Amino acid sequence: MKKSKLFMGLGALALVGVLLVAADHIDAPDTMGTTADIADFYAFEPTLGSDNTVFAVDLQSNVLPDLAYGTFDENVLLEINIDNDGDLVEDLVIQAIPRDGKMYFFGPVAPSETGLNGSIMVDAPLGSVDISAATAIVETTSNGVSLFAGPRQDAFFFDFFQFNEVIGGTAPLGFKAAGDPTTTDDDDDTAVDTFDGANTMSIVVEIPNSLLGETTAVNVLQLPVYKTWVTTNAKQ
Amino acid sequence: MKFKNIKYTFLSLCAITALASCSDDDNTPMVMTPTCSDGIMNGDETGVDCGGTCTPCEDGMEPMGPDFTGTYAQVDFMGRPGINTVLSADGETKNSHNMSIPSEMQATFQAAFEARLEAYHDVYANILGADPAAVNFEPNILGDILNGPMDDGYTNNPVTATVLTTVLSNDVLEVAPNLPTTYFNGGSGAPNYEGAVGLTGRTPQDDVIDVSLILLFGGGDGARFSGQDTDGDGMADLPRLTSDGVGLTATVGTTFPYLGAPE
Repeated sequence: MKKSKLFMGLGALALVGVLLVAADHIDAPDTMGTTADIADFYAFEPTLGSDNTVFAVDLQSNVLPDLAYGTFDENVLLEINIDNDGDLVEDLVIQAIPRDGKMYFFGPVAPSETGLNGSIMVDAPLGSVDISAATAIVETTSNGVSLFAGPRQDAFFFDFFQFNEVIGGTAPLGFKAAGDPTTTDDDDDTAVDTFDGANTMSIVVEIPNSLLGETTAVNVLQLPVYKTWVTTNAKQ
Repeated sequence: MKFKNIKYTFLSLCAITALASCSDDDNTPMVMTPTCSDGIMNGDETGVDCGGTCTPCEDGMEPMGPDFTGTYAQVDFMGRPGINTVLSADGETKNSHNMSIPSEMQATFQAAFEARLEAYHDVYANILGADPAAVNFEPNILGDILNGPMDDGYTNNPVTATVLTTVLSNDVLEVAPNLPTTYFNGGSGAPNYEGAVGLTGRTPQDDVIDVSLILLFGGGDGARFSGQDTDGDGMADLPRLTSDGVGLTATVGTTFPYLGAPE
C-alpha cells in the first residue's frame, strides 16, 4: 500500500473517530493496540489428507502507527481452546507464553478450570521454541508437534478504510471495484488492501489430530469438527 | 458430503445449541507428562528437573527456571473473523464480547447482533431514499445451499436474520479434522451451487470478508446489493456490498509456519 493512501485513510479515520479493525485486529477499546490484542486466528488442515491441524494466532499489528507491536509480553498467556463435544465449553487448551526469548507451549490438556480465569498447565509441557526474528526458527517435538513464534506478514486482507465509509453512510456506491492486481494502482476508484505490508506477531502450532482426540461436535452440515477459539489472558 | 437435502439444519442447530449440555468424556486424547528434562519445574520436582522422582537437586544450587505461577484472566477473545468488529454496535459491547465465553454468547449477544445487522441495512435505505423499515436483511444463500433451490422466491428460506445471528453469536471457529479446509465457497452460485463447500475451518487464503458480506447483504441469490445498474443508464443504482474488491496480498507458504516472513 502506498503511504499517501494510508495517510488519506488515516485522515478519514480521524474524522469519523473510528479505530476498529477487522478480523479481530484492534477490535475493542480495552484491548486496542495492547500487547494482548488478538489480530487474527486461523485453523486449518495443512495439506489435503493430512492428519494434522494447524492453529495460527496473530497478536498485535503494525497496520496503524502507535500500536504495540514487535515483542511478545511475558504477562500475556495465549490460550487456544478446543471443544470436542459441542457444548461450547473448552475440553482442551493449548497454551503459549514467552519467557526470556523462548515461547513455551503447554497442552493439549483439560484446563484446571474453564471460563475467564486460568493458570498455566505446567504438568502438561508440550515444548518450546526460540522466538524468531525475520527468519523462522521451527521446533518439532518428539510427538510430531511443530512450534513457531515470531513476526510474520499479516495475511489478512480487507479494504478497511472503505468499510468505514460504507458503515458510516458516506459511500453511496458501497465498496470499490477490484483494481488490477499486477499494478500498484493508487487511484481512488479501486479497492486497496489496508493490510498489505503490515506485520503481526504470530504463534503457530501444527499438531497431530491424535493429540486432540476424537470429536463428537458437528457443524451445520453434520461434519465432525473441533469448535475452537482463542483468548489472551493477563497475569493478575 | 452433499450440502443439499439437509432440511432445516440451521433451525435444528439453534434448538440444539440453546439446549446444549452435552457430556462426553470418552474422547480424552493422549496428554504430555512432565519429564526430568523439560526445563520446567513440574510434577513432583522441587527444582527445575530435579528433586522428587528426578535426581536430587544439589544443595543450595537448585536451578532457577521460568516462573509459570499465577492466575491469568481473559482480556481478548476471537472465534470467527470479524464477528465482534462487525456485529457489536459500540465499544462497550465490543469490550463485553471480549470478556465473554462462547457458551454464554448466544444469550448475551444474539439480539444485539440482529439489531446491528438491520441497522446496516438502514444505512443504505437512507442513502437510496427508501423507508429504513422496508429495507431489511433477506435470508441468504445458505438456505438454498442447505436445502436445495426453492421455487418460491426464497420465501421459505430458513436462514432468517434471527437464525443467522444465532449461529454467528455462538462465536467459535469450527475446523474439521481430516477434511479439506474451506471457510466457504458457493461453488457455481445461484441457483444450484454445484460444488459448494465450506464450514470446515479457515485458511489464510480464504476471503472471509467477501464471504461475510455475501451472507449479510447478498440475499437469496448472493448478489442482492452488488452494484447493479437497474435502469441501464450505465451507472450503478444499488451499492456494492457483496465484495470489498481485494484479495490476498501477503505471502503464504505451503510449509510450516505457513505465514510469510515479515516485510
